[in-house]
Amino acid sequence: MTIYIDVLFWMRQKRWFLIAIAYGLVMHFGVTPPVDLNPAAFDALIIISMALILIITEPLPLPAIAMFMLFMQVVLGIDTANNVASSFMNDAVFFIMGSLMLAVAIVSQGLDKRLALAIIYLTGHKTWRIIAGFTAISAILASFIGEHTVAAMMMPVGLTLVRYAHKDPKKVAGLTAALLFSIAYGATVGSIGTPSGGGRNVIMMNYWAEFGAGSVTYLEWIKYVYPMVLIQIPFTVLILLWTFKPEQNNLDSAVRKLVIDVAHAGKIKGREWLAIFLFILVFLGWVFLSEDFGLGIIALLGVFLYLAFGLVEWQELNRKTNWGVILLFGAAISIGIQMNDTGAAQWIAQVIIHNLSKVIDNPAVLQGSVSVLLTGIMSNILSSSATVAVVGPIVLDLGGDKILIGYATAIASAFGYFTAVAAPACTIIYSSGLVKSKDFLRAGWKMGFLSLVSLLGLSLLWWPLL
Amino acid sequence: MTKKKPLIDPKSLKFLTAVSSAEYSKPTLKMGALIASVFDASLGVVYVGERASEFHGSAVNLTRTNLDNWNIIHPGLEVLEWALDELKKLSPENKELAKIQFNPDHVYEEDGRVRVILPEEKGCRIELVLREGELVDQMRKEIQLESYDLAIIGGSQNKRHLAHSLIQYLPSSIFVLQKLNPRKKYKLLLLVDDSAATRKSVEWGALIAEKLGWPVRTLTVSKTIRFGAGYQGAADKAKAYFDSRGIEVEQFFLTGDPVRTFVEFAGDNHFVIMGASTLNPIKQLLFGSKPIKTLEQSDAPILIVR
Repeated sequence: MTIYIDVLFWMRQKRWFLIAIAYGLVMHFGVTPPVDLNPAAFDALIIISMALILIITEPLPLPAIAMFMLFMQVVLGIDTANNVASSFMNDAVFFIMGSLMLAVAIVSQGLDKRLALAIIYLTGHKTWRIIAGFTAISAILASFIGEHTVAAMMMPVGLTLVRYAHKDPKKVAGLTAALLFSIAYGATVGSIGTPSGGGRNVIMMNYWAEFGAGSVTYLEWIKYVYPMVLIQIPFTVLILLWTFKPEQNNLDSAVRKLVIDVAHAGKIKGREWLAIFLFILVFLGWVFLSEDFGLGIIALLGVFLYLAFGLVEWQELNRKTNWGVILLFGAAISIGIQMNDTGAAQWIAQVIIHNLSKVIDNPAVLQGSVSVLLTGIMSNILSSSATVAVVGPIVLDLGGDKILIGYATAIASAFGYFTAVAAPACTIIYSSGLVKSKDFLRAGWKMGFLSLVSLLGLSLLWWPLL
Repeated sequence: MTKKKPLIDPKSLKFLTAVSSAEYSKPTLKMGALIASVFDASLGVVYVGERASEFHGSAVNLTRTNLDNWNIIHPGLEVLEWALDELKKLSPENKELAKIQFNPDHVYEEDGRVRVILPEEKGCRIELVLREGELVDQMRKEIQLESYDLAIIGGSQNKRHLAHSLIQYLPSSIFVLQKLNPRKKYKLLLLVDDSAATRKSVEWGALIAEKLGWPVRTLTVSKTIRFGAGYQGAADKAKAYFDSRGIEVEQFFLTGDPVRTFVEFAGDNHFVIMGASTLNPIKQLLFGSKPIKTLEQSDAPILIVR
């Protein structure tokens, strides 16, 4: 009896895995590929759709899903083992690995206390100014060092202010939500600003190079995308103040207590200066050397320097780095490349264009809206980086300027405002237990709408000038 | 039956209850503490929080490590701290318990859970555990890890489907608290049939009757007017067991649909004890089981013995 219950319970827990397997078997053995799609491309689509089911529902650990995507390519004869292995590791995966480790190294320096003092010095005690300061600082920092790093550093500052504002954060729910969302949305808005702002930007750069669309430098990316960050910062502040209506207009007492708290850290130490200096070196490397060396290699060089100078222990990096995510992105990019090489991505793109061209007859509008809407919707279900890894090859085959479509896709992948799963910064504030799913919807639709309008304005007014 | 080794050891009972927040979990925690004190059982309190998507799990963990440096503790630990305070308030006479201080730094990560280390004081048998993930899965793991005898769960109407899953999959006996009034004197209604769980149900019934002094009734329901030898034998064995413990028992034999008969007989003044279903789990899933149907239709608190 117990064994039956155990088996039934396993089936209950793994139901989506079983559904994915059943779907895959039916598709592979029971469905004939369309005449204009070769069998290898059809199999690549089966693998990616099975992987999507598994990634969204998470019945298996991420590394298991990554392995599934890799071995299925060989089992179904899409490519040889050696080719799959070489498509698995590339500079984008190096970058994701390096940036995750850099996040651990930076956060462990305790620079958040300095950051808290700097923000308070800049903003003063008024609530709206603090929220504006949190949003702007989170956005600007996240555009260079990644949103998860910024959210991890800013969260203690935000939560400490909330706790000093009222013993029971639920009594100041509006203030709490406004402060925490200023971190999450600020970091998310900022993460598109430069290639190093998020792994998805580097994945898109990798696809451009792989699919022969050319290469984009760090500064060129900034030139095209950073204005979007600057436009969105004031919008975000206004939306948060309008949506959450903080209960206190002035955080005088909370700020004073926070300053006393962080003042205990004393003067900035040599070790902290060194950590900042090393990051500046990495940043300069990204700006000036990434064309020759690659963003990922420079990120790894930065990790090497942090380790060599003893600023972080390997054991700590090893323990806190999400190796599963690294494997998954390697596998997702590998299958993304197969989608392009087998013609699967092109086939999907043609199907989309063929069907939607009856509704929208302007190709540029069609390409732009499909890439932005598809990416925006998927990033709220998946994660933003996984969305770019999966959607990237398809949208780049929609036609038009691959670079501009790629920018639009990377920007839209940051439109994951509606759920807690899309962006790491959103998951981080949700894990505090102080904001609810419905809060993401309340502010998210406004953010989504204004971001779409901003992207439209950028593509119509700014990009033609460049 | 009396000659066999008892299935329950009343000296080392372990009960488990789950809490989600101070706002919603107070009644369940209160009843859990009360029941554990009546049986002199150790009480495990588990907080099962939402687990972050694996994509962002390491970012959340990195943030939590950083929050620790600012003395901001995990929201789940805050709930466990609240639970310990509530337990102290519920047992003001327990001086050992009163001495125990919650220290969020004294936690131990093991077997996919975080255990709060409490000083071992005589008279304080409390485990505080933090887990993240799906409730049924995490409670099942906790019960398997610590060999709990009984899981105590609420029975609110809007969480019925959850109660069903818990009854279906938890490997311990389950006490569904629905509408349990601690001040009310219930009659124990023990449902007796020829299933394997009846012997353990009888032992639970005797234990509760001894601890609370509630009168005991056994009810055997047959779908036909003829009661088979198995049913009659089980009822006789149950009576013999109660007699051997010096507990008076009233026996009832009724015919009809078992679930409807249980529910009508129990009303709201009985405390129902019944064995877990012996049906094939797939049939249970598809067609339901007597415990699940009884839970759906009855207002009485129910102990489902596994």
